[in-house]
Amino acid sequence: MQQRRILDEVTINRELLRGNLATPKWWLPTVLGLLVVVIFGFTLMGIMFNRGLGVTGLSRPVYWGLFITTFVFWVGISHAGIMISAILRLTQAEWRRPVTRAAELLTVFSLLTALFFPLIHAGRPWRIFYWITPFDFARGIFPNARSPLIWDPFAIGTYLTGSTLFLYVALLPDLGVLRDRTTGWKHSFYTVASLGWRGNPRQWRLQTVAGILLSALMLPIFVSVHSIVSWDFAVTPSVEGWHSTIFAPYFVIGAVHSGVSAVVTMMALMRWLWGWDNYIRPEHFDALARLLIVVALGWMGFTFAELIFGVYSLEAPERALREMQMFTWPWNLLFIIFFLTAFAIPVPLWFFKRVRNNIALMFWTSILVNIGMWLERFLIIVPGLSRKQPFVFTWDTYQVSPLEWGLLLWSFAWVLMLMLLFSKFFPLIPLFETKESQVFTTDVTIGRVTIPAVVRELD
Amino acid sequence: MSTSSLITDGHDDRPSNIDATAKFAGEGRTVASSGLKLFMWILAAAAALGIVGIIVRFIDDGGREEWGYYAATLAFMLTMFGGAPMIAIAPTIAKANWARPAARIGSLASIATAITALLLIPLMFKLPALTEFSDVLGDDVRRRSIWFDSPIYAPHFWNPLILATLAVVGLAMAYVMAIPDFAAIRDHGTGWKQRWARNLARGFHGRPQQWEWLMMRIGITGALYFAMLLYVNFTFSIDLAVSLVPGWKDAIFPFYHTLGSFQAGLSFTILGIWAARRWGGVSKYVGHEQMWSLGKLLLATTLLWFYFFYSSFIVFWYGRSQADSSTIELLVSGPYVYLFAAVFLFAFIAPWWVMIWNKVRDSVWGPPIAAVLVLFGLFMDRVRIYVASWSATPDDLELATTGILEKMPPTQWPDVFDVFIMAGLPALGLLGILLATRLVPVISLWEIQQSRLITKPVRYLRTRVLLVGKPD
Amino acid sequence: MAASNSVLGLYDNPDAGANAMDGLQSAGFALGTFDVLTGTPYPEGAFGEHVPQHRLFRFPFFGALVGLTLAILFTAGTQLAYPVVTGGKPILAVFAMLIIAYELTMLGAVVATVVGIIFESRLPNLNLGAYDARITEGYIGVVVECEGDRVEDAREVLQTAGALEIKTA
Repeated sequence: MQQRRILDEVTINRELLRGNLATPKWWLPTVLGLLVVVIFGFTLMGIMFNRGLGVTGLSRPVYWGLFITTFVFWVGISHAGIMISAILRLTQAEWRRPVTRAAELLTVFSLLTALFFPLIHAGRPWRIFYWITPFDFARGIFPNARSPLIWDPFAIGTYLTGSTLFLYVALLPDLGVLRDRTTGWKHSFYTVASLGWRGNPRQWRLQTVAGILLSALMLPIFVSVHSIVSWDFAVTPSVEGWHSTIFAPYFVIGAVHSGVSAVVTMMALMRWLWGWDNYIRPEHFDALARLLIVVALGWMGFTFAELIFGVYSLEAPERALREMQMFTWPWNLLFIIFFLTAFAIPVPLWFFKRVRNNIALMFWTSILVNIGMWLERFLIIVPGLSRKQPFVFTWDTYQVSPLEWGLLLWSFAWVLMLMLLFSKFFPLIPLFETKESQVFTTDVTIGRVTIPAVVRELD
Repeated sequence: MSTSSLITDGHDDRPSNIDATAKFAGEGRTVASSGLKLFMWILAAAAALGIVGIIVRFIDDGGREEWGYYAATLAFMLTMFGGAPMIAIAPTIAKANWARPAARIGSLASIATAITALLLIPLMFKLPALTEFSDVLGDDVRRRSIWFDSPIYAPHFWNPLILATLAVVGLAMAYVMAIPDFAAIRDHGTGWKQRWARNLARGFHGRPQQWEWLMMRIGITGALYFAMLLYVNFTFSIDLAVSLVPGWKDAIFPFYHTLGSFQAGLSFTILGIWAARRWGGVSKYVGHEQMWSLGKLLLATTLLWFYFFYSSFIVFWYGRSQADSSTIELLVSGPYVYLFAAVFLFAFIAPWWVMIWNKVRDSVWGPPIAAVLVLFGLFMDRVRIYVASWSATPDDLELATTGILEKMPPTQWPDVFDVFIMAGLPALGLLGILLATRLVPVISLWEIQQSRLITKPVRYLRTRVLLVGKPD
Repeated sequence: MAASNSVLGLYDNPDAGANAMDGLQSAGFALGTFDVLTGTPYPEGAFGEHVPQHRLFRFPFFGALVGLTLAILFTAGTQLAYPVVTGGKPILAVFAMLIIAYELTMLGAVVATVVGIIFESRLPNLNLGAYDARITEGYIGVVVECEGDRVEDAREVLQTAGALEIKTA
C-alpha cells in the first residue's frame, strides 16, 4: 500500500519545525519532571563519591554489576544510529529518511550516558585520567595500552566524536531552514551554526558525498566499538563464560538488536508527541520490523553458537556456569524473562504484517526487547563472576542496591531529557531528507498498475 | 510541484525484450564455441586426474593426516560454490535490481555443490569416530563434538546428508528460477534443447497465478537455502576442522567459515560475469552496474574477513593458556606460518587495497582482479585450516580429551596426488556448471525482461536519470 | 574595475529556474559565475548547472595518516616510557596497539573528512549575498555574480525567465 503523501516544502517546514518554532504544552512539564530525576541521580552519584563504592551491592568476587551492565546496554543502544543511518544510506533505502536523525541522536546521547557508568564505577572518577592520558611525566607513570580498559575510551571517544560530527554535518541544511524562519538571537545563533548554508549545487553535492563517505567511515567504527567493549570480557580468561571468540560479533549484533528496537520506541513517541503522521508512517515500522526479524534471528544464531560452544568444551566449570545461568534460582527466572522478552515474544509477533503496521504493538514489543537485552548483559556479566573459582577467598552474592537502581533510572531520564532539549532547538526529522524524498520519488504506471518509483542519478 | 511533472521520456538504448529473447532463448545460443569446448575438455581432464588422486589416496591408505588436502579442497568447493547462490537470494530480498542478471550464474553453482556432497562421502570413511578414545579411556569417553552423546554414526552420516540437502535446495531454487527461461526456449528454441525445455517448463505460460507461485517458490527456496548454508558451514567446519584439534574452542569459527563462503561466492559470481562478458557475448546485458555493486559487497566482506579473524585471534592471544597458545601456533604462527601470510595477503590486504579505489570498483576489470586474489587467498585459507586440523593427530589421548594438543604436528606438504585433487575436484564442479549453461541461459532472461519493465531512463529537467520502480 | 554584485532571481517552479540557467548561459555569462539555490537537493545537473568538482576524498587519507602517527607515538611512547610487563605481554604488544591505532586512524579520517566537507562546501561564509528566505520554502533561486556593468543584463535574463522577484546585493 502506498502511504507516501505529496507535501510541499512550506507544509514540511511548518509540520517538522512544530517543536522548534513553538513550544508544545507538554514539553516544559516533561522536561522539568525529567530534570528532577536527573538531579536526584547526580545527588546519588555525589553520595557514592563521598561514601565509596560500599553503598553499591558490589563485592568480591562480583566486582562488575549493574553499572557495567548499564554501560554495555547504553553502548548497545548507541548502535542504532549508524546501523540505521549509515547502512540504510549506503543501500539507498528510501524509507530511512525520517529515521536517520533520531537514530544518530540516540547514538550520541546514549554514548554520553554510557560514558558515565565506567567513570562512576571507578569510585574516584578523576583518577581515570591516569588510565587514559599520558600526563604524569613527573612520576613517569603512563597508560597501559595492553589493557582492554584503555581501548574503551578510545573506541567510544572516536565513535562519539564521529557520530556528533556526522550529526552536525547532516544538520547544516536544516539549520539554514531554521535561520530563514527565525528572528532575533535565534536567527543569529542559526546563522552562525549553519555556517552560511545557501543550498547551491556544490553544497548539496558535498552533502550527498559526505553522507556516503562518512557512512563508510563510521561503519567500521561502529563495528569496532562494541567489539572492543566485548573484549573487556573476552580477553579475560579467568572468568568462566567470558573467554569466547564469538563475543565481538555477538555483542555487535545484540547491540543492533537493542539499538534498532530503541529507534522503534523513539519513532512511536515522536509520532505520538508531535503528531508527525505524514512522516512516520506504519510502512516505516513495517520496514524496521522486517529489519529487526533478520537481526534478531542472526543474534539468536550467535546466542545459540555461544551456548553450544560453552558446553562443547566438556569442561565441568563451564557446564556448571551454563547450568547456573539457565536452571538455578534466581538466574533461571531472569533467563526466562530475557529469552521471552528479547526474542520469543516479539520476533514471532513481527512475522505478522498486522503487528508490524500497528504502532502501539511495535512500541511495546520494542520496549520488551530492551528489557531482555539489558538482562542479557546482566546474565553475561554477573553469573560468571559469582561462580566459585580457585584462589578467590571471599564469597558474597550480588544484590543490586537501591542506589544502583536509582542511577539506572537516572540514565533513562538523562537520555530523554537531552533528547527533548535537542528537540526544542533542532528538528528531529531531517527536513532536507524529507524534501529530497519528495523530489526523488514518483509513481510509474505499468499497464493498469501504478507503483512507487525512485529516481537514480546516472554517472 | 510534483516530481512527475519534471520528468519527460528519455532515450533508451538498452536492447529490447525481443532482442534479449532471440539472444538467450532463440537459435543464437545453440552452438558452443570451439574455445569453450576446448576449455571443457581441459576441465574434464583435470577432473579425471582428481578422481585418480582420490583412488590413489584410498589405495595408499595412509594416516588421517594424508586426507587434509582432500578435506581442504572440499571445504573450498563448499566455500565457493555454496556461497554463490546467495547472490541470487540476498539482493532479491533487498529489492536490488542490479543483481538480476547475475542471479543465474550464482544459482547454477549448486550443481557443483551437489558434486561436492558426493565427493564428501569417501572422506567420511577417514573421519575419526567420536569414540576414537574409547579403546584406551573407556566406553563413555568421547572427543569434543557438537554432537555430544548422539548415536555413533554422528557426524559421519549427517555431514554428507546435510550438504546434499543444501545442494538439493540450491538446485530446486536454480530450477524454479529458470522455469520462465525454459518456457522461452520452448517457444523460441530448436532441437534437443527445445525438447528438454518443453519438459522442464512444466506448462509455464506466464499466467499471473504462475508468476505468483514462482515468486513464492523462489522466496521459500531462497530462505531455506540461506538457513541451510549457515547450518552446513556450522557442521562442516566443526566436524571436519575444529573438533579434530584438541583444545581448539572457537565459537566464531563457523561464522568465519560462512563469511568466507559469501566472500568466495561473490568472487565466483564476479568472475562468472566477467567470463560471460568476455566469451559469452552478453556485455549489453551485464557488466558495469553488477561489477560496481558486487565489488562493494566484496570489499565489505573482505573487511569482515579481517574482523572475524582478529576477533578470534585476539582472544586466543590474550588467553595464553596452553590450549589457546597451541591453537594459534597450529593455525597461524607454527607449521603453516607462510601459508597464513599468503592468506592474509590474498584474502585481505591485496583485495582490500585493490577495491578501496572508486575507479577500480567502477570498472569491469577491477573486481575480477580482486576476485581472483580472494579465491586464491581463501583456497590457501582452507588448506591452512583443514590440513592443519587433519594433521593434529593426538599422541596422548588423555591430554587430548582435556583439550591440550601436546605436540605440534609437522608441516604436511602436498604430494602430486594432492595437487591432482586440488586442481581436479573444483574443475569437476566447474565443468558441471558449464555443462548446465548449454541448456539454461547464463543470464536470466526473464529477470532482464522484468528489470527492463520496471526501470526506465528518463529526463529530469536538464539531466538524465533512471527511474526505478519498486513493486511490493 | 567595477565592483562585483550578486543578483538573485526567485522562481516558484524548477522549470523556470532551469530556463533562467539556460538563459544566463546563452547570454554569455561564464560557467561558475551563476548558480542555482534550492531548499532541497535535485538530481545533479537538473538545472543544467555547472557540476562542481571537489577533492574531498583526499582529506580522509590525510587525516588517517595523522591519526595513525599519533596512535603509534602514543602507544609505543607510553609503553617504552613505563615498561611494566603485564599479563605476560611484550612491552610493545603490537596486537593491542593495533586496536588503539585503528581507532585513532579512523578518528583522524572522520575529523579530516568533516573539515574537508566544510572546506569544500566553501563554508563558513556568513555573508549570504543576494538571498531570499523563500528558497528554503521550495522556491528556486538563480544567483549571478557579475561586475556592475553586467547587472542589468543579468536582471533582464532572470526577468525573461519569469522571476517573481529580483534582488541585488
